[in-house]
Amino acid sequence: MKPSRASDPYWMLLPTLLLLLVFFVFPLALLVKHSFFSWDLLTPARFVGVENYRSLLRSGELWQTFRTTLSMSSAVVFGSMMAGLGLALLLDRPGRWAAFVRSAVFSAYVVSWVSVGLLFLWLLDADSGVLAGVFRFFAHGRAPRWLSDPALAPWAVAAVTIWKITGYALVLFLAGLQDVPQSILEAAELDGASPAQRLASITWPLLRPTTLFVATTSLISSFQLFDVVRVMTQGGPVRSTTVFVYAIYEQLFLDLRVGRASAEAVAFFGILLLLTGAQFWLFRSREGA
Amino acid sequence: MTGSLLGACADPAVPKGRTLVSLWFSYGGKNREVLESLVQRFNRGQTRDFVQAVYQGDYFEGLAKLRTAIAARCAPVLSHVVGEVVPYLAEAAVLEPLEDYPGLRELDLIPELGQERTWSGGGARPLCALPFNRSTPIAYLNGQLFARAGLAAPRDWQELRAVAKALSERKAGGRFGFGCPINWWFWVALVGQAGGSIVAENGRISLGDEAGVQALELWQGLVRDGLLKPPPGRDYNAWEQCNQDFLSGRAAMIWSSTAFLKYLEEHARFPVIAAPLPAGSKRAVPTGGTFWVVLRAADSARKAAAARFLRFMHEPEQVIEWSTRTGYIPVTRAAVRALEQRGYYTAHPNDRVALEQLAVAQPWPWSVDLFRIQREIVQPRLESAVIAQGNARQTLTEARALALEPT
Repeated sequence: MKPSRASDPYWMLLPTLLLLLVFFVFPLALLVKHSFFSWDLLTPARFVGVENYRSLLRSGELWQTFRTTLSMSSAVVFGSMMAGLGLALLLDRPGRWAAFVRSAVFSAYVVSWVSVGLLFLWLLDADSGVLAGVFRFFAHGRAPRWLSDPALAPWAVAAVTIWKITGYALVLFLAGLQDVPQSILEAAELDGASPAQRLASITWPLLRPTTLFVATTSLISSFQLFDVVRVMTQGGPVRSTTVFVYAIYEQLFLDLRVGRASAEAVAFFGILLLLTGAQFWLFRSREGA
Repeated sequence: MTGSLLGACADPAVPKGRTLVSLWFSYGGKNREVLESLVQRFNRGQTRDFVQAVYQGDYFEGLAKLRTAIAARCAPVLSHVVGEVVPYLAEAAVLEPLEDYPGLRELDLIPELGQERTWSGGGARPLCALPFNRSTPIAYLNGQLFARAGLAAPRDWQELRAVAKALSERKAGGRFGFGCPINWWFWVALVGQAGGSIVAENGRISLGDEAGVQALELWQGLVRDGLLKPPPGRDYNAWEQCNQDFLSGRAAMIWSSTAFLKYLEEHARFPVIAAPLPAGSKRAVPTGGTFWVVLRAADSARKAAAARFLRFMHEPEQVIEWSTRTGYIPVTRAAVRALEQRGYYTAHPNDRVALEQLAVAQPWPWSVDLFRIQREIVQPRLESAVIAQGNARQTLTEARALALEPT
């Protein structure tokens, strides 16, 4: 379609462009500018060049936060995908029971993060929590300190996140399974393929685009993990659950280090940019294949 | 946060002809209830001023909002902040000097709780902070367990260890002899007890030197041997968890603030005994809690109204009500005298513990870096040393080096 006037598309794009400029480009530019200053909001800002970045690197904070975020994200992506796929394969059938379980699993996805955090804070209490009771009953000993042991806390928080977002993966995998042609599965069955062979050679390859989509979206949401960390561990113990968004919040709102928080946010933005690039590359290589 | 800021900037409905004083506070639960009742009493008792109290989260959240609001030129007239941050705010020139407001110089404060002795040399500086909820760390003992075991409150570090050991039960669903949040305030108490101070007399940030190491090693040993439960969570989440451990009998003895005295007494199903902290090579405690501050950016009429409210809050009646309903230390000598005359301390011996500990209270250094050292340098390393059992000496050497770095 050809516009009647050459300028028409630009006028139509203008509101969106303005919104993007005001709410995205301008704050981003401000963020980059602040990352070169030392500022506590009260005393005048002081230009420090790349010192904020250097300090983040030298203290090992950037690397540690990245490592924590990446390991928790990997656990969340892998766990939610496996749980979502497994449940989808089990629940991809008619009947009231399957519909009830599907709804029950998905219901966790619509509960607020803060409620989930508070609920699991109680469930995982190492002394009076439900899980501690189960542990005591079977293992006859003190339950592990899920949230106060630095070696366990990241995995406990990751497990809570998996519990919360598995419903989303389940719905997407169920939709993906609807697209797998029954005729191919029936033909394979007639040829004597076992259920495991049908899953490995037909269902799984045909679910690849869904898998890629689920992986990408859950990776992005797991990188934005904040509420559950804020409620359950406040980044501790020993910074073992300090993920990127929480680290930025802590630097900015608790320590009032605007410069260092900005530098950390810029680094986080760079990492997300790389991940998005990798996602585009993966999608394009799939389309080209 | 944005909501709070906008709320402070807007001109809310105020009874006609009254001067509005916006007050940002950081108490939940019972303390909030008491403060709000005192504010209502002030608002009802006169027709000139109107205080509007708005809750802003815990101390650190409240402080973050306050600093952001100051930067956004949208600060309240009145707030209260932890002692560690007062020198920083005063040096940033955002606090209103208070000595010229009628009556604020003559409040008959207990010196250890006022600006005069809370900070080294605090009396020589312009008056910018008045004590509100002031506290010291104290020990809370489960009276039932202590009586059953025939034990008394530990008087020194050796006894602390022995008592914690005697009261720990390692079986399933067992109990810890001792519970304490891994928090800078308690570490400062231990450093003082070991004979050190955070800042040396010549102004060098020493973090207690050898005393700092001894304090950390005591904690590490208690955790390693399963005698001390470091509660999960950080900041006040950990404090709350520690209280819950005590109330549910999962910890036989805890260290916490005197601020929780009434809360623990009212909620425990056993007798609660308050006791002073034990001695190391000597007895020492830091003071804690918050100070009233008036923000310099507010207009003069509102600042004068805030000063009138502060005068009201320091009258014996209000000081006594605040103190006896919460557990915080009464901040004026007149209030203490009145309580003694009424026989209050004879009937409530737990309330006397923190007051008497003021005799061994150590002043804080007047340092603009104190808050940064606490939040960014020491607190995260305490967790790492105590929970992950890092090397105490190395941890403090690293912390000292960081504290000396320019910001």
